[in-house]
Amino acid sequence: MDLIKKTNIDFVTNRGFFLRLSLLASIIGMLLVLGPEIPGLGLPRLIEPGIDFTGGTQTTVSFANTATSAEQVRGALGKAGYTSAEIKSFGKDGDFLIRINDVQDDASRVSADLVTKLNAAFSKNGEKAVILLGADNVGAKVSAELATDAAISLIIATIIILLYVAFRFEFVYGISAIIALAHDVTMAFVISVLVNKLGILNLELSINSLAAYLTILGYSINDKVVVFDRIRENREKHRGMPLAELVNLSLNETLSRTLITGISVLAALLVMVFLGGDVLEGFAFTMFTGIVIGTYSSVYVASSFLIWYTERVKHKNVGAVAHTEA
Amino acid sequence: MSSKNWGKWLLIVLPLAAAGLLLWPTINYSLLSSERAELAADTSRAGREALARWDVDNKEAFESARAGRMKLGLDLRGGAYLTLEVDVLKLIESSADAEAIDDDFRSIIEETRKATSNSDVDVLTVFLEKFRARGKQLINYFPAAELTEQAVEEKLRRDATGSVDQAMEVLSQRINKYGVSEVSIQKQGSRRLVIELPDEKDTVQMRELLQQTARLEFKRVLMDRRMVKAFYAIDAAYKDYKSGAAPVVADTAKAADTTAKDVAAADTAKKADTAKTAADTGKANDPYKGLSEEEKGRRIIADFPFSYMVFGSVAANEQSQPQQFDLVGLKVNGVTPEQLPEKGIYMFRIPAQKLQEFLKILAVPQVRAAIPAELDILVSANGNATKPGVQPDYYEVYGVAREADLMGDVIEDAYPSFDNSNQPVVMMNMNAEGSDQWARITGANIGNRIAVVMDDRVWSAPTVQGKIPNGSSQISGSFRTEDAMRLAVVLKAGALKAPVQIIEERVVGPSLGEDSIRRGLTSTGLSFALIILFMMAYYAVGGAVADVALLMNILLTVAGLAAFGGTLTLPGIAGLILSTAMAVDANILIFERMREELYAGKTLKSAVDQGFSRAWSAILDSNLTNIAGAIPLIIWGSGPIKGFAITLLIGAIITLFTAVVVTRAIFQLLIAGGATTLNIGQKRTA
Repeated sequence: MDLIKKTNIDFVTNRGFFLRLSLLASIIGMLLVLGPEIPGLGLPRLIEPGIDFTGGTQTTVSFANTATSAEQVRGALGKAGYTSAEIKSFGKDGDFLIRINDVQDDASRVSADLVTKLNAAFSKNGEKAVILLGADNVGAKVSAELATDAAISLIIATIIILLYVAFRFEFVYGISAIIALAHDVTMAFVISVLVNKLGILNLELSINSLAAYLTILGYSINDKVVVFDRIRENREKHRGMPLAELVNLSLNETLSRTLITGISVLAALLVMVFLGGDVLEGFAFTMFTGIVIGTYSSVYVASSFLIWYTERVKHKNVGAVAHTEA
Repeated sequence: MSSKNWGKWLLIVLPLAAAGLLLWPTINYSLLSSERAELAADTSRAGREALARWDVDNKEAFESARAGRMKLGLDLRGGAYLTLEVDVLKLIESSADAEAIDDDFRSIIEETRKATSNSDVDVLTVFLEKFRARGKQLINYFPAAELTEQAVEEKLRRDATGSVDQAMEVLSQRINKYGVSEVSIQKQGSRRLVIELPDEKDTVQMRELLQQTARLEFKRVLMDRRMVKAFYAIDAAYKDYKSGAAPVVADTAKAADTTAKDVAAADTAKKADTAKTAADTGKANDPYKGLSEEEKGRRIIADFPFSYMVFGSVAANEQSQPQQFDLVGLKVNGVTPEQLPEKGIYMFRIPAQKLQEFLKILAVPQVRAAIPAELDILVSANGNATKPGVQPDYYEVYGVAREADLMGDVIEDAYPSFDNSNQPVVMMNMNAEGSDQWARITGANIGNRIAVVMDDRVWSAPTVQGKIPNGSSQISGSFRTEDAMRLAVVLKAGALKAPVQIIEERVVGPSLGEDSIRRGLTSTGLSFALIILFMMAYYAVGGAVADVALLMNILLTVAGLAAFGGTLTLPGIAGLILSTAMAVDANILIFERMREELYAGKTLKSAVDQGFSRAWSAILDSNLTNIAGAIPLIIWGSGPIKGFAITLLIGAIITLFTAVVVTRAIFQLLIAGGATTLNIGQKRTA
């Protein structure tokens, strides 16, 4: 099979437009997601960091009666004294996630107690009405540490990737790659937060979900390196060709590979989104969006930035040279 | 076949053999456990005997398979995961000479606690830095055999490191003796222990088992009118402490809200208060006279933040009627502690709902400083609860000697039993040295009370009836048989040198674990099948070759993970997905290049050679970029991030081998076998 013919698509002429569009989308998305709630516009606070980063206790329970509503659960918990509990449905009908951030004393007792109280409230004829699916209790100390560890290791990893790409290619390639990676993670994050807020999937930001973002980073940098590699090769082959043309040629030459790899990985992830169950679906969804975005950004962010930056620098140099000659 | 081709065959077969060898324990473990589960399903007598026989016969094989198997993370299997932190600072604090402790020392401890609370830095190092920054000398605070700074520091260092190791040992002993199987306990960082339990059911008991410091002490009870004086001193010290720290507005508002209730509660407790210790003469001086009930309550709590909770009674001897009093009442009536009987049986108690507040105030360092050095104020463990599970109405407050007469390390054996009234108790036997001391102590204190204190709570405080020569003692309280059992285990395993605290706990119920692993495995399997089919459809024979390499890649990555003793978790699967995607990508890069060469009219051999060599730089760079990115994540990342990065690192290295070296070897073998054309899905050319 050979579906993708030799192409000659113009990817680079509108680079300015795509660069601005991506930048704007990232900034607006980030402001929207990280910003506070704006009651005037009916805009709620969108981001919901999980207890991994805030500390607290989170209990997931499953009701035998799948018709149980979040309201009923809230009522029962309120009566049991857990007035500050947040209740969120997830996964199957009758599955709820109960989160309490301000636990005073022994957090680890809370989940057991919750299940007991809920069973007492909902049980008829002594049958078990609620089962405990899982519980997480994260002390404030641990959550602060998880956040700093994640941040430190990510920053260092980014610097090392930048240095490696700069060393193997040129510095500007490294910068282009990092900018595109930042864009990918930002956009994937924004989409995840929105999807989570809409309640379609449980995509709460947890330490596990970080692995999905890391996967996006890994896939995206791989994609960029492949394009950069082709540019490096074509530069030798077609000496004197203007950079924009060189980049466009390389993008076209790698397009077949980009699409085939992208499609096969996306298809695999799609299977996980639909069949992966509570645990894998969110994970796979984030990766799926991230890989679509990463493929886009190889063409329209990394390559566009590479051309824009190189031309700007060259322009300056030419200007400087002209100035000295005059 | 030429000798050159033998090398290529080895290149393919050897890694597969190695992977098989590395994964054998995992496979064997699952085979053996399903065999065992089958036997265990038969609960008849014959079945049980067969199971017992199987366990004996296969013990070694099962154990070694278990030890070498690939472990599944909690998120894929269910179970519980606990992180405990050893409170090294507490150890440092308690090893200081009680009389030497001053405000400077306390504030250094306080600062160290703040500085170390959000990271896993070495507590002793931070403490020493802060200590030296103030120009303090260790020898002024810590007792040591050799009084040099160096010696004291070394001793502290030994104790601090030792306390974590000791905690690990004691906790494993407790777990083993309690009979929980397959528990893993590991040290993490400088002062943490990670405990993994396969079953989440026991977590409540387990928590008790792990968190108890089990520091057992026998202390003389010192209860006389000095206690009253101490309570007032605590009021003053706590007020100073509160005014030193800026008062929080919200707190006051909340306090006002609860005062009326508190006072009402206090009043009910006073109802029985018929006999008055002091004459009612001072009544006229009542400073709260004429105030509304609410205002009065607020003022009382402000003036007596500690002692308003305490109610006391005193009796001349065991036969006489105790006279009851409350501390606020004494003060209002102008009765000084000196006017209370010097000799007599004093008792103090606090309402059960005041327990947390009471303990909170007692934990304030400035408050502790206000208590006389020889005295310690402790609360009873169970209060007046007569049955387990029943909430007590009140807790007794005890004054005991700060210095223990005998420590729990003399306990040789502890076992659950029942007392005369058929209540569960824990019986304890002491070693020879302990028995001697115990005989001496009991002999010298006939008629006095000795408190059995564990973890700073008084479990019982019996009056010594006579000398106990055989070193036996008991702990009683209102506990269930299983509590007594657990306590016996804890006491026998010994006390922790430093208290531990659960700082993280994750429980995945078996239903979620089972469901998630089943769905996770099915969907992952389907995903891989899809990729394998797609590669074959798109690249024909080439795709089949790539598929062989891909399967090898997954096998080797998992084997590599097993070899490093890694645990497969959800983030690990993410790493595996990424490295697989990159392996697929590597082959796609190669095949696209090969097609280009074939379209350009090259022979198969040269197209294969060119395809590999041209694609190599892209494959190498992209995998090395990921390897470079994974290394800092392994070094600095925690738990899940590390799990992801380890799988990615192994996967990327293996990709370079399978997707390039192995597929190339297969192509060369095909060519050496005489192939001149090969279908890699290219368009037929005439």
